[in-house]
Amino acid sequence: MAPRWKWKGAEAKALAEPVSETVLELQSSFAQTEASGFLSSCNVLLSVEPEQADLLDRCCFGRPVVNVEKDKRWIQLSFEEAFFLFYKLKCVKISLHGCSLENEVDLWRSMSSFKPNFATSYKAYSHLRSKNWIVRSGLQYGVDFVVYRHHPSLVHSEYAVLVQSISGIDRLKVWSDIHCSVRLTGSVAKTLLILYVNGIVKTENMNLPLCLKDYTVEEQTIRRWSPELSREDETKT
Amino acid sequence: MQLNFMAPRWKWKGAEAKALAEPISKSVSELQLSLAETESSGTLSSCNVLLAVEPEQAELLDRCCFGRLVLSAEKVKKWIQLSFEEAFFLHYNLKCIKISLHGRCLENEVDTWLYMKSKRPNFPMFFKAYSHLRSKNWVLRSGLQYGVDFVAYRHHPSLVHSEYSVLVQSGDSDRLRVWSDIHCAVRLSGSVAKTLLTLYVNGNFKGEDLNLPVCLENFTVEEQTISRWSPELSREDEFTNSKQNVTNVSN
Repeated sequence: MAPRWKWKGAEAKALAEPVSETVLELQSSFAQTEASGFLSSCNVLLSVEPEQADLLDRCCFGRPVVNVEKDKRWIQLSFEEAFFLFYKLKCVKISLHGCSLENEVDLWRSMSSFKPNFATSYKAYSHLRSKNWIVRSGLQYGVDFVVYRHHPSLVHSEYAVLVQSISGIDRLKVWSDIHCSVRLTGSVAKTLLILYVNGIVKTENMNLPLCLKDYTVEEQTIRRWSPELSREDETKT
Repeated sequence: MQLNFMAPRWKWKGAEAKALAEPISKSVSELQLSLAETESSGTLSSCNVLLAVEPEQAELLDRCCFGRLVLSAEKVKKWIQLSFEEAFFLHYNLKCIKISLHGRCLENEVDTWLYMKSKRPNFPMFFKAYSHLRSKNWVLRSGLQYGVDFVAYRHHPSLVHSEYSVLVQSGDSDRLRVWSDIHCAVRLSGSVAKTLLTLYVNGNFKGEDLNLPVCLENFTVEEQTISRWSPELSREDEFTNSKQNVTNVSN
């Protein structure tokens, strides 16, 4: 399924400003002016300058929170987004209950305690983000994430992502679940993508983000197969 | 204004009148008599039951929507493939068919129950849900293609579109555990003009008593529909007397 660009000229604009470049801009901007995030039990609130808010929007991290302040903007980040900005891009600081969490291990442990499947969810998120896919919540489409080739204002999302781990809640256990997801995904013009995250559980460093290196991700798309459309054409060789 | 009431969608003009003239309950009684008279016997396999019937009986089964016709070259008999739920309903509730396994007739319904339960551990729960709706004269079919367990029709599928997509749940069920699963099921049901209905079957599924179909009497079924609530559509109209509306959960 070819990417569906939202307007004429959108594809050209996307090619001219690749996501990777915008992310680098984001990184350098934040390196100059430190942004600080506040960890809660379900998300991270980040306070930023208006220009930084704009950069975050261009890379599609978080959602702006409406407020009356004129100098600062508040952005709500999911755990995955916040940890990615903190650990991978190293451009934000995070504090919990007023104390700054310097150590990534502390942040990892805090997030894992709030969200039991954080490790696999984050692995899947960073796997896709590292390939420059824009990743957003897929809740309303009945999946975990939806991924865009570029900014959502330019293109429609192509994949609806379900994250499966070896240990953890199993999705798609019965045929009706598979039909449900495939059918709904198809009705919104996306392809269902399953990411199987295999984590080797080593108790010593299970709490460390280092364990992510040992995780592997297998990608699998599930589509309907239509016999009529898949026949060999007799007139061609 | 009743928000969650979706009127039945009859398939053609006159379909509703036809349905009213020939209620399902009546067709089911006719079926019961006919099958009992000829002592029809179904052959049990690991996933379904095959029933050989006379052409008129095949037509009755179709009118009540039990099973699917199997294409065969035979002219005299028709072969109908029944799901475990359909077959056990005909055998245990309507008492109009016998069941045989490996050529031997299973006299006792307990034997059929145990066999079906051994092939499908969730059979007791599913059967309770199935018989709960069938006893209310809903026509039930597989909901597999809609991502659910059953779809329920008010009358024959040739007359009306199905209204409910049914998911069967029990205490330790692993469906609809996360919000995205709920959104998935609700959204898909809505896109095919059905309301999502979850049936919670409450009972002790691990005890010894599960070995007898009478355990069904100890199960209870709670019905709950899940539909989207739209704030815009649910605002009180200043100009009319608005009544309290039950929105998302109905029992």
